[in-house]
This record gives sequence, C-alpha cells and structure tokens, in this order.
Amino acid sequence: MSDTMSGNKNMKFLYAGIAIALLISVLAPFLASPDPDGLESAAMDIVDEAKLTAMEEIAPAVESPMPDYAIEGMGKSGEVAAIVAGTLIVLVIGFAFGKLAKK
Amino acid sequence: MHIPDSFMPLSQAIIYWVIALPFILMSVRWARNELDETKVPILAALAAGIFAIQALNIPIGMGTSGHMVGAALVAIILGSPLAGVLVLTLVLLVQGFVFADGGITVMGANILNMGVISGFVGYYTFVALRKSRLSITASAFAGAWIGLVVSALATAVELYIAGTFPLIPGLTAMGLYHLIIGFVGEGIITAVVITAIQKSRPDLIDNSFLSSEAKGAAA
Repeated sequence: MSDTMSGNKNMKFLYAGIAIALLISVLAPFLASPDPDGLESAAMDIVDEAKLTAMEEIAPAVESPMPDYAIEGMGKSGEVAAIVAGTLIVLVIGFAFGKLAKK
Repeated sequence: MHIPDSFMPLSQAIIYWVIALPFILMSVRWARNELDETKVPILAALAAGIFAIQALNIPIGMGTSGHMVGAALVAIILGSPLAGVLVLTLVLLVQGFVFADGGITVMGANILNMGVISGFVGYYTFVALRKSRLSITASAFAGAWIGLVVSALATAVELYIAGTFPLIPGLTAMGLYHLIIGFVGEGIITAVVITAIQKSRPDLIDNSFLSSEAKGAAA
C-alpha cells in the first residue's frame, strides 16, 4: 500500500473484507453444495438429455488454467488454493483498476 | 446462473456483448467520475468478497443449489448500479478465463444478466422502497431478491431465443429456482451485510437519493 493510503479509514474496511473473503475461500470447498445450480438444474429438467450431453461435450472456447475451481490431482487442498488464488486475483485487479481509474 | 458457451450460438452471444458494452463503458466512466481515493479499498474489498461468496453454493432443495450474485449489494453501498456492473464484470472476467465458470463468448450475456439487470433492478427497487420509507434492511432484502429473480427470467428468455430452453418451462424452472436462491442467497445476505455496515459505518452507504426529500425519515 502506498503512503497516501495511510490515514484512510476505509483501509480497515478493506482488511476486514479481505479477511472475510479469504475465510469464505478456505471454507467454500468444504461447505459449498455440490448440487447443480439453478441454471444447470433447469437445463436438466427441461432440455432433452441427448441434446444436453451433446452441448456439454463441446469444449469451452478458451482453455482455463483451473477449471471448476480445482487443481488437477490436488483434491480439496487444490480447491482451497484455486479459490484463494481467484479471490486474490480479483482483489489485486479491483485495487489496481480503482487506483488507475479514480478521479 | 453462469451461461456456458455451448448454450448459445456465437451470433447471438455477440449481440449480448454489443448490448453489455455500453454499460461496461459507463461503469468505467462512473469509476473515473465518482471513485475517489477513499472508495478504492471499498471497491477492491467488495470485488474480492463477491468472488469468494460466489464459490459458496447454498443448497435450496430439489437437488439444486445457488449462490449470491452481489451486484445489488455493491450498487447499494457505492450508490450506483454501474458500480455493480463494474464489479461483476471484473469477477466474471476472472471466473471465465481462469476457472471456466461461465463462457467467454457468452460473457456479454452473463455481464448483462448478473451485472446490468440484477444491479439496475435491484438498486432501483431498493431506492424506490427507501423513498417510500421502508427500512434499509427490508429495502435491501427486497431489492436484491427481485433483482436476482428478474435476471434469472431474462436468462430464460435469452436461452429460449438461443433455442436451448423451451419458453414457458424455462421461465418456470428458472423462476422457481431463483425465487428460492434469491431469497436466501441474495436477499438475506445482502440485507445482513447492509445492516451490519449501516450499524458500524453508516457513512459508507450512499444515501444521497434520500436527501432531496423525506429528510429525517431514514430509519
């Protein structure tokens, strides 16, 4: 953090936010429901099974380094690492964007 | 509610990018005009928190789960639905490119649904309820809930146009699941966070829309 940020009382909000976000990131792999989400459930309810299977087999347009918030072969610890990494990436991007864009 | 690439033809996915792009640009302009040094840490904390909470799927029964979206929460705290668009755009970019959660070609549609629609509907419902003197907790709950349900219905219509969902069953299934997800995952969490901030740091929440009228009515 730069010197200009000291004395900014909202930094406390940032630290609290980081603490809560990291806590959720670490717990999410253990607490999150493995059930399909609302959109996936709706698709399974109403889309023809063969059509859905065919759609799911289409590879995504871009390869992702950590698909489905997991690191291959690392189990739960990989999921924790993936979500913590994502939270930190978003944090840094959000902070950097804000710094660059602010008036 | 992240649409994968395979659910929508590229030609239509591009159209949603074209619709979403002006909102993304307006959200960047919002940041340039409204974001000052003191709000940068709030923006960063909200973005990180929303990424994390989106990884926490809550079971809602019927073999289904759902998670918070968060655009309404960001919009209420920072006082503009464009703040919600900005944060959801950042979150969806990371989710799409790093974690394959939500497609890349359909990201415009996902930004439109989760950032623009849930943010705008959620925020302006909140504002209307506050102006009619409802408490901040109830207004935040209702705004976030309604915003999420409307964005789910919009997603159902888009997937109907895409030829993926039949219209009425799509609206019914998406509406039903997101009524419940919106109640628990969006409404309650948004109300709890807003109430906690209101109690600890009331200065953080933008209330400027109330100052022109109903002075002193803010509960």
